[in-house]
Amino acid sequence: MVETDEENARVSQSQNGDHAAFESLIRTHQRMIHSLTFRMTGSLADAKDLTQETFVRAFRQMDTYRGDSKFSSWLCRIAVNASLNWRARENRRTEIHQLWSDENLDGTAFAEPSVDKLTLRVQAALDRLPAKQRAAIILTVYEEMSLGDAARVMNCTTATAGWRVFSARAKLKQWLKPRGPNHE
Amino acid sequence: MNKFDLNAVLKAAKPTEGSDEYWNDIPREVLAQLRRPAPASPRNRPRWFPRLAWSFAATAACLAVILAISHRRGGTTSKDDLQSTKLIRETLAMFPNRVRAIVQDEHGLNLVLSENEDVPASTPIYVRICDGKQCASFVTFSGQEIQAGGQTVTVLADARGGIILTGNRFVWSNTERNRGGSRLKIEANNLGSVAM
Repeated sequence: MVETDEENARVSQSQNGDHAAFESLIRTHQRMIHSLTFRMTGSLADAKDLTQETFVRAFRQMDTYRGDSKFSSWLCRIAVNASLNWRARENRRTEIHQLWSDENLDGTAFAEPSVDKLTLRVQAALDRLPAKQRAAIILTVYEEMSLGDAARVMNCTTATAGWRVFSARAKLKQWLKPRGPNHE
Repeated sequence: MNKFDLNAVLKAAKPTEGSDEYWNDIPREVLAQLRRPAPASPRNRPRWFPRLAWSFAATAACLAVILAISHRRGGTTSKDDLQSTKLIRETLAMFPNRVRAIVQDEHGLNLVLSENEDVPASTPIYVRICDGKQCASFVTFSGQEIQAGGQTVTVLADARGGIILTGNRFVWSNTERNRGGSRLKIEANNLGSVAM
């Protein structure tokens, strides 16, 4: 997402407590943050809660944003941390795991009319990954961050981020490999 | 499936799109929360308060565990404390989903706890790392990070019992020894279900 002078001005106004300017920042970035939190949790309800929590935390920590990274990366960092620490997530994840169990990796058993089979299958695979590996994949594949940027967001070394991506890819390749026509 | 095929599959999965109402809800809810008085918000109390309170609680908990263990063993700890399934089971029961690691080093036994109950239940892993001068033993879980040999080490395990340790300067696996030529002497094994 391209940072503009206009966005920098809205960040600055938000740092002075301007709710209208912050609302504008929310509207600009909410889909990106929602997409990240949805992929982290696999739950629309959690994703919405975490998106809101991310922006509430961001506003309360606006004075710590110095402009040395992109504002969107700074928001991602808050969203990833919020997702990793989400207390209620584990309870909901238990339910989700029951729905998206191993058998559901073929995307046939979970009846969500608005979601296609591939999306279900991919989300089920993401959901099986350890949370930090999931975050590494989301940041590098979906948010198209470099390993260095992803490492900064996850507050770890580039080597650790690289290892998380490597481990996650190996599992995802196994879980998402194409199957024969008998499985369709 | 190569890297590009996998990326294509992952990117073909679209997150659920909400209605206009859904996207209007989020800023509305956020602003409502920001306008609400927040008696427990960080702005209303000193920044050091949660950390200090947490430090006191964690220190007290660690002391309690160490004292209990020492008392049972007549005031001494042995090299094999971390292989005691009873110790591990009791510690995990005392702090469900919060134990990141049980550490035994030259300072004795210590617990590393998470502030929240966010450590997934999984099979404990025993790790011993020696750097030539001193050794430290850990009971921890896949996905956790431990401090050993002057660096942060991530512990990973797979379903077939494979254990991988990755630090800033090395990668070690119990199936492929000493990758990266590390000077560290490492042993690690899965403690199975005995402590669950």
